Parts: sequence; C-alpha cells; structure tokens
Amino acid sequence: MEDYKFLFKVVLVGNAGVGKTCLVRRFTQGLFPPGQGATIGVDFMIKTVEVDGEKVKLQIWDTAGQERFRSITQSYYRSAHALILVYDISCQPTFDCLPDWLREIEEYANNKVLRILVGNKTDREDREIPRHIGEDFAQRHGMYFLETSAKEAENVERLFMEIAVELMEQAKCKELPKYDGSLGPINGKTTSVGDTSCCLRS
Amino acid sequence: MSFVKCCFEAGEGHDFLDSFVQKCTDPGCCCGCCSALRPRYKRLVDNIFPASPQDGLVKSNMEKLTFYSLSSPEKLDRIGEYLFQKASRDIYRRRHGFVIIAMEAMDQLLLACHSQTLNLFVESFLKMVQKLLESTDPQLQILATQSFVRFANIEEDTPSYHRRYDFFVSKFSAMCHSNHGDTSTRDKIRLAGIQGLQGVIRKTVSDDLVENIWEAQHMDKIVPSLLYNMQSAEKYETVSCMETEARDGAEEEPPRLAECCLRELVGRASFGHIRSVLRPVLTHFDRHELWVPNDFAVHTFKIIMFSIQAQYSYSVVEALMQHVEAAGAGGAGEPRGRARVRAACAAVLSHIVAIAAADSVGPSVLEIINNLLTNLRASVARDSEKETDEKLYQEALINALGEFSDHLPDFQKIDIMMFIVNKVPSTQRGAKGTKADAMLQTILLKSLLKVGTTYKTTELSKAFPAAFLEALLRLAAAAAPPSRALLQRLLHTLLDRRHHAGLLRAPTVDYAELGLTVEKCSRQDLIFISKHGYAIFSSLYEGLQLESNTLENIETIYTTLALLCIELASEETICDIMQLILAIQQSSVSNPVLSVAQQCHLVAVSVALAALLPHVVLLPLDRLQDYIDKIIESRREEAPHLLPPLQPDYPQLGPAALPNKLPYLMIDQMAVCECLKACGVDASRLQSPSPYAAGAALALAHRHSWVEAGAAQGRDSLADIGAPPGAGLELDSAHSSPGVQRHAGSTQAAGVSLEALRRAAGGPSDAERRELERRRATLNNAFRTAPFHHLLTLTQPKYEIQEKLEEIFSSISEEPLLPASGACSPAGNTKSYQQSVPPYTKYFPELFLY
Ligand SMILES: Nc1nc2c(ncn2[C@@H]2O[C@H](COP(=O)(O)OP(=O)(O)OP(=O)(O)O)[C@@H](O)[C@H]2O)c(=O)[nH]1
Ligand SMILES: [Mg+2]
Repeated sequence: MEDYKFLFKVVLVGNAGVGKTCLVRRFTQGLFPPGQGATIGVDFMIKTVEVDGEKVKLQIWDTAGQERFRSITQSYYRSAHALILVYDISCQPTFDCLPDWLREIEEYANNKVLRILVGNKTDREDREIPRHIGEDFAQRHGMYFLETSAKEAENVERLFMEIAVELMEQAKCKELPKYDGSLGPINGKTTSVGDTSCCLRS
Repeated sequence: MSFVKCCFEAGEGHDFLDSFVQKCTDPGCCCGCCSALRPRYKRLVDNIFPASPQDGLVKSNMEKLTFYSLSSPEKLDRIGEYLFQKASRDIYRRRHGFVIIAMEAMDQLLLACHSQTLNLFVESFLKMVQKLLESTDPQLQILATQSFVRFANIEEDTPSYHRRYDFFVSKFSAMCHSNHGDTSTRDKIRLAGIQGLQGVIRKTVSDDLVENIWEAQHMDKIVPSLLYNMQSAEKYETVSCMETEARDGAEEEPPRLAECCLRELVGRASFGHIRSVLRPVLTHFDRHELWVPNDFAVHTFKIIMFSIQAQYSYSVVEALMQHVEAAGAGGAGEPRGRARVRAACAAVLSHIVAIAAADSVGPSVLEIINNLLTNLRASVARDSEKETDEKLYQEALINALGEFSDHLPDFQKIDIMMFIVNKVPSTQRGAKGTKADAMLQTILLKSLLKVGTTYKTTELSKAFPAAFLEALLRLAAAAAPPSRALLQRLLHTLLDRRHHAGLLRAPTVDYAELGLTVEKCSRQDLIFISKHGYAIFSSLYEGLQLESNTLENIETIYTTLALLCIELASEETICDIMQLILAIQQSSVSNPVLSVAQQCHLVAVSVALAALLPHVVLLPLDRLQDYIDKIIESRREEAPHLLPPLQPDYPQLGPAALPNKLPYLMIDQMAVCECLKACGVDASRLQSPSPYAAGAALALAHRHSWVEAGAAQGRDSLADIGAPPGAGLELDSAHSSPGVQRHAGSTQAAGVSLEALRRAAGGPSDAERRELERRRATLNNAFRTAPFHHLLTLTQPKYEIQEKLEEIFSSISEEPLLPASGACSPAGNTKSYQQSVPPYTKYFPELFLY
C-alpha cells in the first residue's frame, strides 16, 4: 500500500481547547471523541487521501496548545508544508492570540509554508467572532480561511482536502519550497526513509 | 478455492476469503505467487508465515530464508521490499498477527546478514518500522521501536548518508509524551519513545554526515521529551554515575530510562555540542516553571555535571550563569517572580559549581568567579533594600562562590581572594561612597569571607601575600561599620589555625578555662610579623579609634588581636604587642571622638589582651600575670565597667568613673617593663615612645607600604629573610616614629582627625580641650627629642598631602569590575601595587635606605 505519490506534513497550532485534536480525529477516524483530553506535547496521525486519482499521504502533527509545551511544539513547525492555525469562534481570547501565533510561525516555520486560518466550533450558539472578522484577519495575513465544526463534521474533510490539493498543485509546479538541503536526499536517491520534504514517490 | 488452497494451506474462514478477494485486485499483490514462475525468494518468504498468526513464525522455513539470503545476498533488497509489501497490506487489513511475524523475520535477517549487503535491505526495514510507527495501535508502535533499537545497535560499515532520521525523532518524541488513557499502556509507549530516541542518538551521534543529531530541530524535541519524563518521577534520586546493569528496573520506568538517555547524550557531547543540549534544557525549565522549587533543576543539572566530559563542565556553569543574567535582564513574568527564579537558578548553580571546581583549571576558574561577581554587582545595582528575593539571590551567588572555592586547591583560593578584594569599591575615609557602593562592599566582603572560610592557613606569609594584606588593611579602615566587622571576620578565619575564634568572640579575662592550644611561633611566621606586624597592628589600632564603631566592631578587632597573640606571641614579639595594648589603653583617654562606652570598651579590651599574654607566650610570665590579675581584681571592686564583657551602654556611669579619672586602675607602662624584665624579657623597646597615636594613620600607612615596597622591589627582602628575626624587629622599631603627633586642626588628617574636626566645629568639649593640650605637649616634646629626619618629615607635609590625594582620587575613580582578561592575575596586582609606592620613598628615598 506504499503507493502514495506525495507526502505532506501538516501541523496544527492554536490555543488550548480550540479543538485541534477533535478536528484531526474527525478527519482521520471519522469520529468526534467525547471528553477529549488536552494534548501533551505532540500527537501524530496519518491519512492517505486521493486527489485527481493520485494518492497523497498526509502526516498530521497535532500540537499541544498549552504554554508549557510551546518550545517542543515549535520544533515541529520547521518541516511543515502546511500550518493550520485554529481558533474557537465562541471564545474571543483564542482569536486575540492569533497575532502571537503568527509571530511564532514567522519565527519557526519555513516562510513559504501554506497557512490556513480555521475558526472551529461553528455548531455553537454562542459565537463571539463573526465570520467576516476571521476572514478579514486571514486576508490581511495572507492565509486561507475556513470555518469548521469538528462536532458536526462540517468543512473538516474539505479543510484537509483543500490543503492536499493546494500542496499538490504547488508540488507539481515545483513551487514547493525547497526545505533546507540537509533534509533532502543526497546522492540523487529519491527513496528516503524518515520522509523528508515533499517526497515525490515513484 | 484453489487459489486459496495454493497460498494458504489451511483456510482461515470467511472474512479471510473476503480479504483475499480484495487482495487480488491489488496490483502489487502476490498473485504471481500462484504462478509456477513465482520467484524463489517470494516462495521462501511466503513460507515463513503460518496459517494462523497465533502459531508464530515458521522457524524451519525462516532458517531456509536466512540461508538463502546469506548465499544470495544480492536478493536481500528484494526480500526486504517484498516483506514490506506484505506487511503493509496486513496493516491495512488490521491483521496485526502477520505484521508482527513479518517484522520478526526482518529483525532476524538484519542480524544474520552482513553489512556490505545490508544497505538496501535496511531501507525496506526502516520503511517497515516507519509504517508500524504510523499505525495508531500501541502494540505495533512498541514493536517497531524494538526493531528500530535492534537496528540502532548494529554497526554498519558504510552507513547510508542519504538516510534521514527526522521522522523517527519526531515520532519518538511524540511517543515520549503519550497521553494514552490506560496508564500502563501510556508508560509502555513512553518507554518505547525514549528507547527509540536512545537508538537514534546511538545511530547518529558519532557521524554528523548521517544526521547531525545536535541540530536544534532535533535537540528541541529530544531534550524536552527526556526531561518531561524525568520530571514525572515521584522523587529525584541523584547518583553520580549510573550503571544500567546495577540499577534494576531502570529500563522499566520512563523517568529512569529518560535519565539514562540524557546521561548518554550529555556524555557524548563534544565541546561544540554542549550548548545544543543546554539551551533546550534551560528553555524547558523556563517553560515548565521548574526553577521554583528547584529540586528537579538541581537533580537534572547534577546529572548533567556528572555525565558531561569533565573538561567541559565549566560550560554548564557558564550557561547557567548566563541564563541567570538573562533572567535578570528582563525575561518574561513580573519582576518579583523573576527575582525568585533568579534566586532559584543561582541556588542550582551553587549546587553544581563544586562539581565543576574539581575539573576547572586556570582561566576558567577566574572566569567563573568573575561571572559570579558580575552577577552580584548587577544584583546590587538592582537591589531596592526590601526585595528579599534579591537578597536570597545574592546569598545564593555568594554560596556558589564559596562552594566553588571550597573545591579548589588552596593556592587558587588566595588568587581568588586577591581577585575579589580588588573588586571591592574603596570608599576611602572622608570620601563619600554611594549606597550601592556600600552594599557592594558588604556583599563582596561576604563573598571574600565565604572563600576565606574554605582556606586552610598554614604559613601566614602564604595566606597574606603582601599585596593582599595591603588591600585588606586598606579596607579595614575604609569601609562602613558592618563591612569593617566582616573584614575582621575574614582576618579571623585566615589567622585562626587552631580554632580559637569561637572561644574568643568577645573580650574576657578568664583564659585558664578555655583550653587554648599554643605552639611555638615558627620562624617563617616571625619573619612575616617582623615585616608586616607594624602595618597590621597600626591598622587594628586605627580601627579601634573610629567614632562610628559599634560593639561588634570592637569585639571583632579584639578577636583579631587575640588570635594574633596566640598565633604569634613569642619572646620576640611580646614587647610589640604590649606596646600596642598600652597604646589602646591610652587612646581611651586621648582620643576625643570616643563615646563613654567606647572609652570603657578600649580599656576593657586592653586588659583582656594583657591578661591573654601570659597564657600564650611560652615563657613563665608570672610577674606580669600577677600584676594584671591585681588590676583586674581592683577593677572588679571599683570599676567593673572597665572589664569585659563589653556593654552596649553604660548609663549609670558618673564622670568620676571615666577611665581618665582612674589612672591607678590602668596598666602602667613602667610596671609592665619591670614585670617583663623580671621574667627575663628585654623590655627596652617598650620604653621608647609609642608609635601609635590618634592621627598617626597616614604616616604609618606609608611606613608599612615602604616595607612592602622594599620587599617587592627585592631590595632588601633577601636581607630581611636572611637576618635573624630580632633584626627585623629592630629595623621596625628603629622606625617607630614619634613625629606623627600632628595638630588636630591640621588639614592633612583624614579619618579620626577628620571626625575630630567635625566635632571641633560643634565647639570644643572638655575632652577635646584636654586632648589639644596633650597634643601640644607631645608635639613640643617631639621637637625636643625626635631625631632630625622625623622633624623634616613633619615639616614637609605638603608632598604627603598631595600624594595622598592622588592616591585617593585614583582609587575612587571606578575600577571596572570586568578587567580585560588576564588583568586579574597576581601579576596585575603587583603592578598596581607598585604604582602606589608611597611618597616618602619618592621624595626622601635617602631617609629609608637602611
Ligand atoms: N461544540 C464543539 N465543541 C468542540 C468542537 N471541537 C472540539 N470541541 C470541544 O472542545 C474541547 C477541546 O477540544 P480539543 O480537540 O481537545 O482541543 P485542542 O485544541 O486539541 O486542545 P489542546 O490539545 O489542549 O491544545 C473538547 O471538550 C471538545 O469536545 C466543535 O467543533 N464543536
Ligand atoms: Mg489537542
């Protein structure tokens, strides 16, 4: 089954409790976990999807939102192809922290990384951030924007699929950022264990 | 059905059939296996799988496969790829039993085959490991880790340089943080994560071309993952070294295994890599707020110190110190919290510097000291009196200094003390230091004391090199009262070879009970005291004359004097000591600035010292003892306030009870001479005029400088040491200068006479008038009796003043705390000290050529 053509690394960031883990589990396992505990450090999930008849493997790194894990989580930004920045539309503080997150991304991630802003928990009645506010913010900072509900499975599939499509597009146009040479294969081999950058598989 | 029969002799039931159908739609499938043309290696591989996974690997067939691989190594990579394909399918279909068997087979092949051929097989092997790690099943993840560790322990002849471990580091680090609901599973996953990291480290650490494991992207994952597991231990047991075999269960508990792994990592770090490990450690402690309380920090840093290659241990201290600094410079958090973190960091520092000291040499030692002092100074600059955390921080730094010095050889301690003493801001008497200066002074003196306490004095000349002694004596009079007391305490610890300081904390006259141990003064010490005794004595004498003295100041000076008596008393020195005692007694009536209490103190101190002499000089001094006893007896009846213990206050004292009204209760110079003579001591020196008098400080200071300058220039040091001790003393007493009694109104006086001036401005008191008269009398006397050259110096004061002022100004102009490297060496000291060659030698060298 190791016949995927592309491998992309996706990292989720955002304040604690905004629903990152729920989004990932909805996407990879198709469920909304009751009583999902806070993530410790980093979690890892994998999912292979199909785009235009080609298999794309998504390696998903779900980071902890808690401050104390910030230094280890930051170390995962660097090799990400896409960064999903999540806030909770029913919780103003999680939106207010976005500039801080952007600063971190600026500092630790590759500057060509695909950035997506996600307002999660649209199913909730007590919305605090109107959709257009989030949209504006995303536009101003050159990010894609989507509102989701992990609970109602709204836009979750779409979120990851669009990422896959976009990254594949980039990869095909060879626009995909060349990650630091040390990551790429040396001596011309394309097979590389420990997956390096975009990993075009034959 | 025949298909099924062909591939799997014993059918597995219904769902199996379903999956088989699925399987055959797969292009990568083993459909070929059904063909007669199926390659041999595929057949061999297929045969190792049992019908039912519970039966486990088919051993005999596995042997066949191994044998085949060994004889046709060129097939190995295809075997690997095929096994991987099969396992991938089995994972997809959740048939984990078969996955486990495939992995086991790969493990066996890996171990059986030899390195040249291994390279391509390893690619499939690692793909397999990764595949298993990607699954959500803990069992497969753990299995994969075990295989990975097995692989990591194999030495490859030619490691594949394009192989990257990025995924493994990322995934194992994530596993180290497992939050699995079931605790035992959680611990197993965490253990596997740690083992995996250990494997990556072993595999890559020796060869940067494979993967530079020291890069931040890896260290930022590995180090926090290990620490996160270590910090979850119930208690922290720090042992200096850890033998895995000897410590049962180390492999079963995540905290212990994480610790092993950290030790291994740190132990393998070369100099350039230390920082790569330390930076994430420090960040982790900040992030997880592990400084306060600091037991985990102490635990961790000790482990680092124990496992680091000894020659690099200094860099841990350095990194921690810089971190402390950075925390001070404005890290996150509110100021109070920051101060607390700083204090806790510094406390960690004090726990580990001792470990560093053993391996530190030369420049790194002073570098550490310098850093500590810099931090202290920064703290003082920040300090706002009330901040207790800042105080705690300073204490911690001072403790660190002490801990560090404690583990250095003694000769380095002296170097360090010289170094510190030169950092003490010198607020000369008269010149007003800032409050910060005064605080820095106290703090540096505390540090000095801390270091001094760790020093074990043998010979006084080694404990007090000339430049060091000079600096100490300068401070003895220059500092604020609490600092002066500290300085005396430093002298105590350096002088007190026989542990008497505790017994002699306060003046007493009952020595018989104390059990003092006295030994004959060594020749080296006699030479030392003949050279420097005068400077020391006059400094102590001056110290007793200060208006600002507290009870503590007087008592500490008493202790210093008493210790000097014990350490140095001998036939040769007794007269000098007696002369000093008499001078102290005399000053109680002649020094106009003293309070009533201070007058009583000085009288009591002198009788306490006089009573000590018969106990410490190894001569029968019965007559002297009788005489002193008589005085004590009489005072007990008539004037108990003139005996120890010293009181802070003597409220009910009438004017008639003042020392000057009770001359018959005083120790009489002539009587002492008689007593000494009767005991066979040559007391002639005692009859010459006293060199000690209020205001004599300047002249004396120069005199002692001269003696040292002479020694430093090598002019007469040889002669000095070569001559019998007595000669040295003669030399000194020949210089006993009577020509120092100066008019109280003269402008040249600093110190006591300055205070006197201030008093005079307030209108002369009785005592002052008396003093003026006395001075006039002695001055007249001096002109009548003193040798010509003394008069000459007396009448040439302006050179002295000018020089003195220059000296003061140059010492006030602030010395940078951080000298250019190397300037802190003893050589540096000698230089500055030669520059302070006293004016006398410049202007009247001929007077001093003896
Ligand atoms: N109503 C609603 N609740 C959600 C949704 N997504 C997550 N939650 C809830 O939000 C809480 C936090 O979800 P998590 O997925 O653990 O949040 P997280 O971002 O992973 O948090 P950290 O791991 O601490 O960073 C849980 O109680 C979820 O049930 C959603 O779409 N709608
Ligand atoms: Mg989470």
